[in-house]
Amino acid sequence: MGGRDQKIVKKLEKKIVKKGFPDVKISADEGIVRLNGRVNLWSEVITIGYLAAKTKGVKGVINDVTAGEIERKGEEKKVTKRGVYENVSLPKRADVVIVGGGVIGCFIARELSRYKLDVVLLEKESDVACEATKANSGVVHSGIGESSGTLKQKLNVKGNKMCDKVCEELNVPFERDGLLIVITTETLPPKVRKVLPSFISNFICEKIIPYVIFRKGKKAGIPLRPVKREELLEMEPNITDKAIVGVYSPTYGVVYPYEITIALAENAIQNGVKIALNTEVEDILVEDGKVKGVLTDRGTIEAEYVINAAGIFADEVAEMAGAREFSIHPRKGSIIIFDKDMKGYINHSLSELILPQDPHTKGGGIFTTVDGNPNWGPDAIEVSDKYDKSVTAEEIDTIFECGSLLPDFQKSSLITYFAGLRAATYEEDFFIKASENVLGFVNVAGIQSPGLASSPAIAEMVRGILREIGLKMREKEEFNPIRRAIPKFSNLSIEEKKKLIKENPLYGNVICRCEHVTEGEVVDAIHRPLPATTVDAVKRRVRTGMGRCQGGFCGPKVARILARELNIPLEEVTKDGPGSNLFVGKTKSLLAEEA
Amino acid sequence: MIEVDVAIIGGGPAGLASAMKACEEGVKDILIIERGMELGGILLQCIHDGFGTFIFEETLTGPEYAQRYIDEVKKTGINVKLNTMVLEIDSAKRIIAVNQEDGLLEIEAKAIILSMGCRERTRAQILIPGDRPSGIYTAGVAQRYINIEGVIPGKKVVILGSGDIGMIMARRFTLEGAEVEGVYEVMSNPGGLTRNVVQCVEDYEIPLHLSHTITNIRGRRRVEGVTVAKVDSEMRPIKDTERFVPCDTVILSVGLIPENELSKSADVGMDPITNGPIVDEQMQTSVPGIFACGNVVHVHDLVDDVSKVAEVAGKGAAGYIDGKLKKRRSPIKVRAGRNVKYVVPQIIHGEKFDEDIRFYLRVKEIEKSVKTVVLADGERIFEKKIKIVKPPEMVKLDISPDILNRITGDELIIDVEGEEDEEKP
Ligand SMILES: Cc1cc2nc3c(=O)[nH]c(=O)nc-3n(C[C@H](O)[C@H](O)[C@H](O)COP(=O)(O)OP(=O)(O)OC[C@H]3O[C@@H](n4cnc5c(N)ncnc54)[C@H](O)[C@@H]3O)c2cc1C
Ligand SMILES: Cc1cc2nc3c(=O)[nH]c(=O)nc-3n(C[C@H](O)[C@H](O)[C@H](O)COP(=O)(O)OP(=O)(O)OC[C@H]3O[C@@H](n4cnc5c(N)ncnc54)[C@H](O)[C@@H]3O)c2cc1C
Repeated sequence: MGGRDQKIVKKLEKKIVKKGFPDVKISADEGIVRLNGRVNLWSEVITIGYLAAKTKGVKGVINDVTAGEIERKGEEKKVTKRGVYENVSLPKRADVVIVGGGVIGCFIARELSRYKLDVVLLEKESDVACEATKANSGVVHSGIGESSGTLKQKLNVKGNKMCDKVCEELNVPFERDGLLIVITTETLPPKVRKVLPSFISNFICEKIIPYVIFRKGKKAGIPLRPVKREELLEMEPNITDKAIVGVYSPTYGVVYPYEITIALAENAIQNGVKIALNTEVEDILVEDGKVKGVLTDRGTIEAEYVINAAGIFADEVAEMAGAREFSIHPRKGSIIIFDKDMKGYINHSLSELILPQDPHTKGGGIFTTVDGNPNWGPDAIEVSDKYDKSVTAEEIDTIFECGSLLPDFQKSSLITYFAGLRAATYEEDFFIKASENVLGFVNVAGIQSPGLASSPAIAEMVRGILREIGLKMREKEEFNPIRRAIPKFSNLSIEEKKKLIKENPLYGNVICRCEHVTEGEVVDAIHRPLPATTVDAVKRRVRTGMGRCQGGFCGPKVARILARELNIPLEEVTKDGPGSNLFVGKTKSLLAEEA
Repeated sequence: MIEVDVAIIGGGPAGLASAMKACEEGVKDILIIERGMELGGILLQCIHDGFGTFIFEETLTGPEYAQRYIDEVKKTGINVKLNTMVLEIDSAKRIIAVNQEDGLLEIEAKAIILSMGCRERTRAQILIPGDRPSGIYTAGVAQRYINIEGVIPGKKVVILGSGDIGMIMARRFTLEGAEVEGVYEVMSNPGGLTRNVVQCVEDYEIPLHLSHTITNIRGRRRVEGVTVAKVDSEMRPIKDTERFVPCDTVILSVGLIPENELSKSADVGMDPITNGPIVDEQMQTSVPGIFACGNVVHVHDLVDDVSKVAEVAGKGAAGYIDGKLKKRRSPIKVRAGRNVKYVVPQIIHGEKFDEDIRFYLRVKEIEKSVKTVVLADGERIFEKKIKIVKPPEMVKLDISPDILNRITGDELIIDVEGEEDEEKP
């Protein structure tokens, strides 16, 4: 340990002892702090991590402190035969291996597919976009929610601007519906409201707060516009009387995060990238401080460049390479989706400003999906288990509070809820760097919100890093940025529908009553460059099961079509990959077992 | 553009009976549009018996009951389009439908009968917290998988909700060799018919836990278990009664919702209590010429009632085309009174009556030795004693024309009076 490191350890030790955790062991190496030991509660682990991150001179925190209460569900090893889930054979070598098929991994894959390179993306699940990327609000933030000067803010602002072009190329919908930050009679904390005369608190709410937000936006290059009460009510007639004024952020938009990710993956494949699903990286091979390849549960791939885009597992993948400079502590966020018959109830995304703001989350809001389904949330809860994506009763209550901006909203139109895990580091910023210890290993970690909004800029940045560390990139003339989308029957005009059915009668068979999805779309999804082999994968591509009946009607039909197209028995169809089978056997089979 | 006299959306028992009646009444050009590959609706998957006890005075299975109507329909000139999904209806009675052979169909009808049935309430709509693994099914979907698709959803089953379908599925799973750990019901009384409690649950020694609910579902890929708990009188789970039950399947039988997206697209006025269209005594909705019957109006427990009321709609549609439906100047509003959740029809339009009107009502709470009372013009115009009323069992009142023709006001109230309310002479 060098002198600087010793200083850090001393300082931190004092802080941590003072907080009442004398048994935590601390060491530091080049500004990277490592913490070990055991405490009682998970919340204490988190506190200790933040104490370290805020200590002067600390560049990264590896927090291996454990808590008594942790119940790590872990994952039982899959023994199921892979069959249809083995979509490509694993190559022996590649120029670049990307670990993780979330929006980040897929964006990087597509970015690299512009060059004459052998790129392989490995994803442990049976589809891309199965972790954080499928469970978020789908918001392309403007950047106003991020702290000034962070990498997050810089990449968010840049990424936002890049979205129009990429969504157009990929043929995925992108709507800039704008965000209204709403300042209400509850914006100031109750304590402050109590002591201030009302004309002063009014002045703060009407003038000072909007000005502060406006200034922050200006500094970061984010267009914003103050909105007076009358205009606010005109823009959002259903908003609460508590609303005082607003700040409008026009560049705010929404996408379907899984749709854009699938489109990126398909376009990458079109341009030569190999994407291997159901392939888990178990080790990173390193020799003489250089990356040599990856070991997966399906074999080894040699490669000199490995990109770690493993989301909440990025710290574990970095550890495999001996290049861990951070910890990921999963922060759960739950979201509630409402029926699209509430479409038009709000015209913009809405977010009530409540002070003081939680430093680690932008807080929940009211958003609308591209199809007009309102969605509320997310909340933010630290969890010890990287597999805990449950939505608790308390969370549902918290999220309902997000809706206090819309007092008369019909909550009974709720159709579903889900949770995702944010890959938070203690530094609370993106961690995008080539490792200094392991040549060829690039961490793209800590990509929590606004990771989706920033993804185009992150991919560009990673390309730059690869070039810097020596990867030769020569452009491919034949690169085709355009991806054909699956025709969406319900969006077509009557004439277009007629024409499509004539070309392919399967488009005349509507199998989903809520979203009017046809058999033609499902069959198309199953036979795309990146095949949909599960019920959920089909759902993410064509929206079967996303409507108000949640698959009650289309479920049996989708299962049948999957079995037919994949040529497997119905009992082998799964919800989202091995182990999630829909059925246990044919009728009478249990009776036969007994006998 | 295809032109028809009466278009019927949905070929379940409601659609079939209304088509037959309209045909009997002399309507020439009738078209039934059904999205399934066969006529019969939900009955096709109900292979248990208990259908037709009133209409045919014997107990049939669902498919047998449906077949009797299908056979009749086949003898007539009623046209049927199967595998055809109606996408939209507008208030001018234009229908857009689609199938593989014809492609997109545009149909214009003089009258429309809505008979789309209902769908099941889902897990999210009753806010069960927890994970979202494979292995959670609504009872009707599980029934379809076992009885039509020939596959079994799970081996160890927990059922939430003691509605009829839930209990029928408890028996069905047991017969398939699966273990049903228990049926859990949040209310203090079973949600379905008594005959199903006896025949589907008690006879198979399946534990029925009243005043219980599921407070959490656990499982990563597939359901691993649920937490169940007793609930207090306000239906809030009691924390220290929580218990973890390992299972691989959760079956939900937590209510049905009339399927009215099409009705809404046609601007039909809806009743927020039944979740179905507001109808008059001819089963006509607020849009002239659009009629509705069966589970799309409100959820029925017996198919016999569905068939019967569908005939009213069929006759109404025929009368509408002939211009025979006369309306009184100001309609009579039918109101749900004491211990009545809702009454169908909600409105009476006729000028003069020569037949009984049957009112269907659901009570809010169980009550013994009651009297149903119909009030109009400040008078008790009808009374009927009933031994016991229960929410799962629909109450039917037939009011005769001579009583109806005496009404002069514009309101009719139906009460269920308990013993203590009764005026002692
Ligand atoms: C509730 C919630 C709301 C959010 N809302 C927004 C929003 O509105 N706007 C926004 O911009 N951002 C939002 N975010 C953040 C956004 O979802 C993430 O930043 C983004 O999805 C991160 O993408 P990723 O590719 O880094 O991670 P992931 O999508 O988690 O992808 C990582 C992938 O790596 C795979 N993997 C992991 N380990 C291995 C291994 N060993 N071998 C092979 N594969 C592996 C995983 O299976 C996974 O598919 C939200 C996040 C949450 C949780
Ligand atoms: C599981 C279960 C068990 C039951 N058990 C009994 C019993 O033991 N005894 C008894 O008497 N009753 C029983 N019932 C009740 C009885 O079956 C129903 O009340 C009756 O089937 C309702 O008839 P319906 O025609 O209104 O609806 P359904 O039978 O649901 O028919 C509606 C039809 O409309 C079609 N449709 C809907 N929308 C469209 C569209 N957009 N385009 C084209 N077609 C469309 C559907 O495909 C369906 O065929 C049971 C019901 C269920 C669900």
